[in-house]
Amino acid sequence: MPVEWLNPYHLQVGSFLLINVLLGVSIYITLSTGQLSLGNAGFMCIGAYTAALLSTKCGLPIPAGIALGAVLAGSAGVLVGLPSLRLSGVYLAIATLGFGEVIRAVAVNWETLTGGAVGVAAVPQMGRVLLANLADAGFAPGDAGLRPNQFIALSVFLILLAVTALVIAFFLRLDRTRVGRAYAAIRLDEKAAEAMGIPVTYYKVLAFSQGAMVSGLAGALFAHSTSYISPEDFTYHRAVEILVYAVFGGSGHLLGSVFGAAALTLLPEALRFVSDYRHMLYGLLLVLMMIYRPQGVIDPPLLRRLHRARAEEAP
Amino acid sequence: MKRKHQAIAALTCALFALVFLGARKAGPASKPKGEPVRAKIGVISIITGAGAGYGEAITNGFRLARDEVNAKGEVLIDLKVEDSTGKAEQALSAAQKLINSERVAAILGPTLSTEMKVVGPEANASGVPIMGTSTTAKGITQIGKYVFRNSLPESLAIPASIGMAVKKYNLKKVALLYGNDDVFTKSGFDTMKEVSERLRLSILTVQEFQKGQSDYRAQLTRIASLSPDGVFCSALYEEGAVILSQARKMGITVPFVGGNGFNSPKVIEIARDASEGLIVATPWFAERDDPKVKSFVAKYEKAYGKKPDQFAAQAYDALHIMANALKAAGSADREKLRDALAATKNHMGVLGKFSFDADRDVVMDPNVLIIQGGRFRPFR
Repeated sequence: MPVEWLNPYHLQVGSFLLINVLLGVSIYITLSTGQLSLGNAGFMCIGAYTAALLSTKCGLPIPAGIALGAVLAGSAGVLVGLPSLRLSGVYLAIATLGFGEVIRAVAVNWETLTGGAVGVAAVPQMGRVLLANLADAGFAPGDAGLRPNQFIALSVFLILLAVTALVIAFFLRLDRTRVGRAYAAIRLDEKAAEAMGIPVTYYKVLAFSQGAMVSGLAGALFAHSTSYISPEDFTYHRAVEILVYAVFGGSGHLLGSVFGAAALTLLPEALRFVSDYRHMLYGLLLVLMMIYRPQGVIDPPLLRRLHRARAEEAP
Repeated sequence: MKRKHQAIAALTCALFALVFLGARKAGPASKPKGEPVRAKIGVISIITGAGAGYGEAITNGFRLARDEVNAKGEVLIDLKVEDSTGKAEQALSAAQKLINSERVAAILGPTLSTEMKVVGPEANASGVPIMGTSTTAKGITQIGKYVFRNSLPESLAIPASIGMAVKKYNLKKVALLYGNDDVFTKSGFDTMKEVSERLRLSILTVQEFQKGQSDYRAQLTRIASLSPDGVFCSALYEEGAVILSQARKMGITVPFVGGNGFNSPKVIEIARDASEGLIVATPWFAERDDPKVKSFVAKYEKAYGKKPDQFAAQAYDALHIMANALKAAGSADREKLRDALAATKNHMGVLGKFSFDADRDVVMDPNVLIIQGGRFRPFR
């Protein structure tokens, strides 16, 4: 008897939500050193294409492809980060936006490798591959009371959940280490941080490449959960969307971006019932947010208050 | 202060609740004898966003056909329309919703080939028949045995138009021009190149442009300098119309052969006299002398206040094909419906005679049209 309440639709939305949360984390990291990067869609593109091509053309196992995708995106982050450090604020934003477009243009024009605008199809999907492997080992999803499509959606969701939880835990922890303190110092006042002996260049490049790496990871996971990618997936709309996650949720704390990504992924789905008007409502909500809570839904003072409230309730 | 975060928490809860409600239970209907076949058919279309124009024509086509089918009473179709905004992820979520929450018998759509490449494998894995009505790229029905399409693929349209143009104008040397950042125009170009090579035409030059470009003089100057016998241009009408008018102004008077995307009355509107002599192959010819076509055009105009385009026509035929398959299957069972769909032969619709081949792809004769005197006419 299958477990009826386990709906692949909800798991699907959950999977995209988790990928977007990773993207939200990636923009938060660069923002946490006060750098505004719009290149995350480009890094995501690198990660996605690397993973997709390694598994379709070289037959590399999926986890290896995903790891390499993240590493390559991270290295690209170092390369872009170093020269971009001379820029700040809106100039950095424009430079990184340009970088993202260059990556997309490469994906469109390097046809022999990337397939051009047609993209890479038949990328092995994590859940389906896992199911096939388990079937070889004699496991049938029916044994666990699941229909095959439930099993596929559930396994993708759980893999993404594990990865996302690890990434969030890592960066929450990082906030309390020397590195996290250095990031905060640089964001508050770069000159003062430098005067205190913090190697600003090192930390800024580190943050930049960490952000790039997480974007690449998200891209690689994206490729293996949708099974098809094309340059259309990584346009500058995506970069702006990622930035909105942080701005909406609150860029002052990691959980702000996480919340922003989650809320803004669920919102269009939740608004499906108003079909024609859903993007209007979505836009309206963003405008209202910016008027009444410009720092984003979640900011450090709110978290502190929550924390204190909990401490008071406890005897 | 405390109230403020309570409010936020409540808002979050409400959001989640909204998402997780809405799942409704309804098994695929089975029918006792003599009763009409009832079926829920899912539609994934672009309702909002940049491609909403296509989505509107397509859903209009579906709705018109549904009303006809339901009025007959043998098959009762309940359409569930979901928006994809033209994005693959949204299309996939919509498909999951239709397959698992709405439990539809089959899906019509999505609109774009890029969306189909993401949605197709999922529908196929879930055993839900899915039929694209506007997906023309290569490798769509090869996704799996549940994936169908009734949209004329480039691989049928382009050989027809190029073949006739080559014969009529005795073309030997040609220039190719295409948009390289769009799946549709890129895959159209791939077919043009293949066909040109097969016909042993000498390709003088291949020029590329990007979506939204407004000045094509660099590419056209190069083409003009090589003086080809004809130009094969894979473009959507937005770019194509501008290319045509600039080409004619630059004195390139040779015949232009376009892909399926070039086939729109808008080309005539935008390029006016410059559009004369454009040759396209299309599944849809609104002025064909056929009572079916005439009644469809009249009904569509009455209902929606404009003339149907090829997307509306393809959607209209797709729903009728689906209804016939439902009738043949005798129930809304996904498996039976798939087999009945695959057995579709010689369906007479507004696009003409239509069958599925062994690969669930299109078998039909495209119309080759030429723009003459400010309108599309059959090219002979």
